[in-house]
Amino acid sequence: MDPTTVAQVIFYFFAVLTVASAAIVVFSSSLIYSAFALLFTFFGVAALYVFLGADFLAATQLVIYVGGILILLLFGVMLTHKLYDLDLKTETFQFFPGFLVMAAVLLTLTGVISKTQWVSRGERPLNPTTIAIGLLFMREYILPFEVASVFLLVALIGAAMIVRRRRS
Amino acid sequence: MIGLNHYLFVSAALFSLGVMGVLTRKNAVNVLMGIELILNSANINLVAFSRYSVASLDGQIFAVFVIIIAAAEAAVALAIVLSMYRIVKSVNLDQADTLKG
Amino acid sequence: MNPEILQDLESFVPEIVLTVALLLVVLADISLPKLRTRVTFLVTAVGLLAALCFTVPLFGAGEKALFYNMVALDRMAVFFKGFLILASFLVLLAAPGSKELSSTHLGEFYALLLGVTLGMLLLASSVDMLMLYLSLEMVSLTSYIMVGYLRHDRQSNEASLKYILFGAVSTGSMLYGITLLFGLTGSTKMPAIREALASGGASGGNGMALLVATALILAGFGFKTAAVPFHFWCPDVYTGAPTPVTAFLSVAPKAAGFATLIRFFFSGMSDTTTSASQWSAFSAMNWTSLLILISIITMTLGNIAALRQDNLKRLLAYSSIAHAGYMMMGAAVLSYEGVQAVLIYLITYLFMNLGAFLVVIEIFNQTNSFNVNDYRGLYRRSPFLAISMTIFLLSLMGIPPFAGFFGKLFVFAAAVNHNLAWFAVIGALNSVVAVYYYARVIKAMIIEGGDEGAGFKLAGTSRALVWIMLLPTVGMVLFWDRIQALTGRSWKFFIG
Repeated sequence: MDPTTVAQVIFYFFAVLTVASAAIVVFSSSLIYSAFALLFTFFGVAALYVFLGADFLAATQLVIYVGGILILLLFGVMLTHKLYDLDLKTETFQFFPGFLVMAAVLLTLTGVISKTQWVSRGERPLNPTTIAIGLLFMREYILPFEVASVFLLVALIGAAMIVRRRRS
Repeated sequence: MIGLNHYLFVSAALFSLGVMGVLTRKNAVNVLMGIELILNSANINLVAFSRYSVASLDGQIFAVFVIIIAAAEAAVALAIVLSMYRIVKSVNLDQADTLKG
Repeated sequence: MNPEILQDLESFVPEIVLTVALLLVVLADISLPKLRTRVTFLVTAVGLLAALCFTVPLFGAGEKALFYNMVALDRMAVFFKGFLILASFLVLLAAPGSKELSSTHLGEFYALLLGVTLGMLLLASSVDMLMLYLSLEMVSLTSYIMVGYLRHDRQSNEASLKYILFGAVSTGSMLYGITLLFGLTGSTKMPAIREALASGGASGGNGMALLVATALILAGFGFKTAAVPFHFWCPDVYTGAPTPVTAFLSVAPKAAGFATLIRFFFSGMSDTTTSASQWSAFSAMNWTSLLILISIITMTLGNIAALRQDNLKRLLAYSSIAHAGYMMMGAAVLSYEGVQAVLIYLITYLFMNLGAFLVVIEIFNQTNSFNVNDYRGLYRRSPFLAISMTIFLLSLMGIPPFAGFFGKLFVFAAAVNHNLAWFAVIGALNSVVAVYYYARVIKAMIIEGGDEGAGFKLAGTSRALVWIMLLPTVGMVLFWDRIQALTGRSWKFFIG
């Protein structure tokens, strides 16, 4: 088989996986199904990053999103229900107006995307990115890099403080 | 050939689904999942533009920072949700109604 | 280390001082069990004052961009840095005196206050969209936590939940808009965005994309400044949060939001080549009309909704939404006069709004209530508080000779001078409507009689704080030309 066709098939597989899982996250009536579908969404996005030549970013996505945020969300799901609540059903409100809004947003965005001529400075070749990203963090992006560390410290303190138990 | 627009459509779909999740879900953790979908869709945009339009790593670096911010935001949001569960014994947004003036 | 970075650090001293103070507060909080309340308070106070002292000399520096064009150092940035540090300092003084916060340990509160101040300084000087988003999130996240600080109180928790969910969606949508703008212009730096848009990046079919991107980005700015239709979080959050936090939110992040809105629209999306003092929006995206519309809807909705409120915090929440509408008038006229008007309005607003909230805090300390019906007969129980509150409310109404009058004067004048007299008339009509709900409170305090209670005993520090807010509110008319000169020099910002 011709390699570009194989690439296309794999791309479509991951694209459909991502969007379909996202749909399950949003439409499923079981909270656990939503959480696990979100796992597949994150995986699909990481695969898309690989397709786009963002190797460092794909690894970061897996480690932080799947390994961190998703675990956190699962803890959130588990810790906010009583032990005997086996079927974690979720309700929805105003489904139909929400659906209309979603359709409107989707139509607007697809229309905009198909009609727009994005900036074209050429394509970036698919080189490994890790070294380049590391250097950029220490040069052009040093200020956001340092600010992000203070930001994480403050978020950490704040989150820990909110969840702390009452002092006995 | 897979081009820029393919990725943009995927991210548009994720963004719309995320908005839908935020608007219609009653469970606070579910709303958070919708927010994560929105942030991921923006990230796909950034990386796709980085590869096809801008020919530099700026988009990817931005995406790394978005992931950092998303992680911190999820942590704080879940802390608040857990705190709500301790007080009200539920995380259903219907229960968040004591402030109506 | 790059020599340019080292050089930029010299201009970055206030932020560094705040970071060092933050780290010291965290260390003190975990290592000094007995003294920590006093030590953390002192470290925070000294840190903020030191940062303020280091900000003042920066005013004379020219305009330049620091750290590879991430943040700008110009007079407007320095003005906002001083303003925001001062606002945080005043809230710091008010926090320990409030009954709501007296039952909790405040060590983390001071750390969060330093963190949010650092974020606001960066937000007000960002010229890169990444830096803008990062600092916006830093301010927002710390605000969410501060709102939910009373973690066992149901209302505080509910307020922070609503705040974070609404805020995350708004900033997430803003981020999506930023990515679209990135795709349209190829850069995240505001000067480069402006050049790309000027040279036809938004022509033809791209106009729609630019409109969508701008609308989404406005979601983030609208959320931070509590403008309609992104204001829904405001009344609930202001009501549920501890009142010192409400006071802080109503002034400081709002001001930082305006600073970055002005910077983004003026240096990122305007044609600055036509003349030095009057710019015009790119023909592709007439965002000035959009801002005018938002301003009108915001002030009208804020004023009308405030008419029905009995809870003082909710009333002041809608009042602050209306004031954001007036301030947006100054931003919508797209000229240096408009920027100067916004700066003047912010100075007056800082003192009168914080003053009003201070009185609300004190009255809660004594009566446990935020309801206007419990304000009846306040004049008998504490003439000092009643008169001070009356002055703050008259100033908020815009009555001369109090400070609020000057804010409104300049904003309306900016509109009139740009052939938008009808806009100013709408603003004036709104001010008239607002008189009703402010007057209701004054009437309750002074004219109506309440249950005779004991006279209030105010702590010395609380009294002093109210005086600190009163003096500028009353005395601004005397220093009028100084303020005008200061703000007249502060509008200049880095275009790049």
